[in-house]
Amino acid sequence: MSSSFRGATAIVGVGQTPHYKRGTSGEPELRLCLRAIEAACTDAGIAPQDIDGFVSYGSERNDGQRLMPALGTKEMRYAGLVWGHGGGIPGALNIAAGAIITGQADTVVVYRAMSEYDSPRVQLAVSQSDTAAQYLVNGLDAPAQMCAMRSQRLVEALGVPASTFRAMAQASYFHAQQNPDANGYGTDLTDEKYESSRWVSEPYRLFDCSRENDAAVAVILVSAERAADLAQKPAYVLSAPMGSAHGWGAREENHEPYWSAGFESVARRLWAESGYGPSDVDVSQIYENMTGMGVSALIDHGFCTPQNAAEVITVDNLTVPGGRLPINTSGGNLAEGFIHGMGLVTEAVRQIRGQSVNQVAGAALSLMTGGPGDTLVSSALLGSEDTL
Amino acid sequence: MAYSFAEHRISGGIGADSRYWESLEEGAFRLPRCSGCGVWMWPALYRCGECGSWEQDWPEVDPVGTVYSWTRSWYAFDRTRERASSVPYVVVLAEIPQAGGARVLGALAGPEDGLRIGAPVYGTIEPPAAISQGYPSIRWRIGVREPASGDGQ
Repeated sequence: MSSSFRGATAIVGVGQTPHYKRGTSGEPELRLCLRAIEAACTDAGIAPQDIDGFVSYGSERNDGQRLMPALGTKEMRYAGLVWGHGGGIPGALNIAAGAIITGQADTVVVYRAMSEYDSPRVQLAVSQSDTAAQYLVNGLDAPAQMCAMRSQRLVEALGVPASTFRAMAQASYFHAQQNPDANGYGTDLTDEKYESSRWVSEPYRLFDCSRENDAAVAVILVSAERAADLAQKPAYVLSAPMGSAHGWGAREENHEPYWSAGFESVARRLWAESGYGPSDVDVSQIYENMTGMGVSALIDHGFCTPQNAAEVITVDNLTVPGGRLPINTSGGNLAEGFIHGMGLVTEAVRQIRGQSVNQVAGAALSLMTGGPGDTLVSSALLGSEDTL
Repeated sequence: MAYSFAEHRISGGIGADSRYWESLEEGAFRLPRCSGCGVWMWPALYRCGECGSWEQDWPEVDPVGTVYSWTRSWYAFDRTRERASSVPYVVVLAEIPQAGGARVLGALAGPEDGLRIGAPVYGTIEPPAAISQGYPSIRWRIGVREPASGDGQ
């Protein structure tokens, strides 16, 4: 496999603030963002002023220009934003890595910060006011409602049982019980508790939907060469493709396949570039804005098919220590907290380092899939040195 | 004609669909088709991705199709808070065979009996209203339209 991208960079530092219930952090976004970046620098053993590249995604407002005075940035050499929403998270790793590989920057931070303290309702900040008239006119505002129609199709037309949605939620809550910082810590999501929770937009109940938080996350990338000399065990970026297939993009519910999370083309490139396949992956962080979209993402990446989804997507199989497909091991967007999905990147790195609260023994290949169903999506496969 | 929707313009989508909303306000359901190669396109586009033409026709389409998917919402989110008194309400994504399978959103009107993917639906046009953000709208009804209200296809 001739790829100048594969394994050429690594994530060497991660930092994040606590997950505050939205509107309660008492801190502006910029301040939370700086806290996360400083923490990531400390973790990596890198001086904040040495960061020379700034990359984010979606509607992130805290551009590098605003961060550099407080970081003491010596020289900003690179800045970029991946279009879309949560679909672009691994894509942000992609362009950060590209900048390093091509010599445009040496130390790139990828980050996301959200706070209702000084920002609009987080849900609006995430959707960045780009909702087409056709939705709002007909009573559709939130991603939960739009994704609900796609998941309804998955259940009713493709025959994937809704029990898979419950399993996604319960696996996340199960893992959150080992994570005191998780919003779902202390919540035992029994079948009864799930089934009796109120509907949001059918087929989604309350526990199928992620919750927004005031919080910030940052990760730092450098070249593989430099990574070897730093404090932490490197999480090498084996592949982080982004994009959309023909028939996808901004199509206002006219995309194909309708039930999909949109990863078919990205997953194909992910496996081709990394040289690995779904059966090789040790642990996965699956962005689940809503449970059903996480199920579609698993299908898109080849972990199961619509036909056998019910056998594969069970609580036992999705959880540590016994499951063969452990996902969202810190609690995920559903039960840990929602920093526009960015918390899943730090957990994917912790698994490589052996630092997860639900550690998969010997985890060497760690997958993170971006926001499902977005008009642009991306996925990242991280690996330990042995996987290079 | 001064259009209500133009006074309440929602930006954020592709934005090539003004003719759709104008037509609904005039009482007609029209969908775009490429003047060059004849492919139906929805949402409306400025340029045909198939043949490169910048011209579209907007033929009137009989609003008859089937339920492609649906959701019943139990909460009125911020930007659609005008729906609060309608909760729970159903939104249908209707597939229109006459327009190349274009899928068009609309709130459900009338009884929910028989609501399922594949169920036949037909549309009725509502004038601009607060509940639809000052836009006109098409509402889908389950069943086959009786001949008295139209001549079908």
